[in-house]
Amino acid sequence: MLKTENLTYWYNDRDQYLFKDVNLAFAAGHSYAIVGQSGSGKTTMVSLLAGLDTPKAGRILIDDQDIKKHGLTNYRQSQVAIVFQAYNLFTYMSALENLMTAMAITKAKHKGDKAYAKGMLTKLGLTDEQMTKNVQKLSGGQQQRVAIARTMVCDAPLVVADEPTGNLDEDNTTEVIALFNQIAHEAGKCVIIVTHEAAVAAQCDGVLRLAHRTFTWEKQPQPAVPA
Amino acid sequence: MNFAKRAWLNLIAKKGRTALLILVTSAIMLFVMAGLLIKSAANQATENAKDSIGATLTLSANREAAFKKMRESAASSDGQPAKPSGKPSLSMSPVKLSTAEKIAQLTGVESYSVAVSTSANAKSFDAITTSSGQMTGPMGGKGGASTGDITVSGVSSTASNANFSDKTYVIKKGRGLTASDKNTNNVVIKSELATENDLKVGDTITIKNAAKTKTYKLKVVGIYKAKSTASTTMGGGMMGGGDPSNTIFTSYTFANTLKGTKYKDTADSVVFTVTTPSKVASVKKAATKLISSKFSLTADDQSYQMVRQSMSSVTSFADKIVWLVAIAGTIILALIVVLMIRERRFEIGILLSLGEKRAKVIAQFFVELFVILLVGVGIASAGGQFVGDKLAAQVVSSAQTTTSSTSQLGGMPGGQGGPGGTQGGSRTGAPSGMPGQASQQKAQAKQAKLATKVTFKSVAILFGLGLAIILIAILAGAGGILRLNPKRILIG
Repeated sequence: MLKTENLTYWYNDRDQYLFKDVNLAFAAGHSYAIVGQSGSGKTTMVSLLAGLDTPKAGRILIDDQDIKKHGLTNYRQSQVAIVFQAYNLFTYMSALENLMTAMAITKAKHKGDKAYAKGMLTKLGLTDEQMTKNVQKLSGGQQQRVAIARTMVCDAPLVVADEPTGNLDEDNTTEVIALFNQIAHEAGKCVIIVTHEAAVAAQCDGVLRLAHRTFTWEKQPQPAVPA
Repeated sequence: MNFAKRAWLNLIAKKGRTALLILVTSAIMLFVMAGLLIKSAANQATENAKDSIGATLTLSANREAAFKKMRESAASSDGQPAKPSGKPSLSMSPVKLSTAEKIAQLTGVESYSVAVSTSANAKSFDAITTSSGQMTGPMGGKGGASTGDITVSGVSSTASNANFSDKTYVIKKGRGLTASDKNTNNVVIKSELATENDLKVGDTITIKNAAKTKTYKLKVVGIYKAKSTASTTMGGGMMGGGDPSNTIFTSYTFANTLKGTKYKDTADSVVFTVTTPSKVASVKKAATKLISSKFSLTADDQSYQMVRQSMSSVTSFADKIVWLVAIAGTIILALIVVLMIRERRFEIGILLSLGEKRAKVIAQFFVELFVILLVGVGIASAGGQFVGDKLAAQVVSSAQTTTSSTSQLGGMPGGQGGPGGTQGGSRTGAPSGMPGQASQQKAQAKQAKLATKVTFKSVAILFGLGLAIILIAILAGAGGILRLNPKRILIG
């Protein structure tokens, strides 16, 4: 579903590249973890896959089409949903309004369907009262659930998460990763999680390690996706 | 329209910031509104002045032409004196009333009044004498032939005389002269003269002409009083006796009789009242064609010009207010928008990560400011009149001071109209006393009434200006939005 072809990135000096000629493939219905040391370039990779940045060389294909052809804005709108460590919710809105806004922007199938959004929040464990109060009044775990619910109400086939459990305790971490797996396995989406936590990576279907500017599969999802 | 909903949610959620923005925008709009209202009021005042403030044209002998003729006459006599006495004689033709009537028929002329000045000698009563009153020259009136101790001011009616119309003189007892007093020997005398001679309304007095060859009986129909001693001195129109208390008002026909038969149906000057100041020029042009070079027409649209000049400076000030506040407001709002964008870059990053178009992010900011502008315009419309009135009063007061001092530096235009003697003095504005001062008072009264009024047009202009201000402010801030990199905001 998602492929990279000779993906290369550097910051200022092309000789000091972060990674070079990366060829990877990610399939729908699986969850993937990208692990590696801090500063290795995991987040840069996820921002490239999310269409938040552009590669210096190579290309990213979604359903065999270069994401540049989609246009990065359209790509982010219709193909990818992003979850951040800091939740990145609209702080002046309630959980429900956050979902409704995301549905409106991404032109989701259920756009404007409040009942659908409420159902999704209920599914993720929020009460009616919690979903109508300002998101800043929710706990970290609840906010991250709202962020995950936001990715679920949008129809994007790809979900990219950058350290989604970074601010969560152990129980919430387990619950959140379980939710991601649920999205991958039940909704048939491709979920890519950047994490530095081995326990999180262990719960994913595939694990990709970035070390010494090179990506290597530590665990391939079954069945393996040909690059 | 999701961006509009987001804008609304943001405005409601961030009440403090919204209130602050409303405060700033309202302050900007309030001052822009005040400027617009003052400008509009000043323009209106100028328009009103065109209709309500009178303007006059004075027809009198052309002194300049008379002087020129006198010099030519002196030169033609090969250096010999023109007169046996050795003094050159200034000969000025009186205005024919038939000419005045022709001018009065012109479009734009509302009415006219006739003035004749001469002197006579008291016979049945004593003229008041003052030791300093025996002046010579233009004010004293001893510039030519024999003069008497009484100044006779012949008028169409006392009401048309500037001294009475501007209340420098007021009728204390009896009545003033009217058009019906034409061809009568009715007279209005000054209260001091009446007191000194124990004269009352209904009494008969006798005077002799300046040459003391004929005696005339006059019936006192009214007694007038000067508002102040100063105005008596200034506006008395002293012709003969020197003391202003010796000025009596008669019909112009009687004054002409005193002067002699050749002065029948003539006047020293005729003042035409023009319907509006804007018609003065056209009336003057048409009237000039009806008179010879011996006469001159002097326009006095002083009041209108004074209002116009004053309002022009008010308009200029109001313009400056509008522009300065608009520019300062744009800068302030642009800075606020830039700061707002910096403060909300995270929110913008989320929107961009969701695939929102940058134009719609800018549109959201625009809608927020638009709603704030609506409230600001509402507040400015409600309070603009109050601020405008206060500011206008200050500006008008300042403009009046400036105009007044300019007028004084310019030599009291239209004022000091006292005649200087039948044969010798200046005739310009002869019967008017101090029309300049009166017109200044009128003009100042007009200016003092400058009142602002909030109209649909002023609100629409304010709204348009406000819209332009927020558009510029948004465009200035939009650069920040367009440059924002969602990766740096959200992941960096």
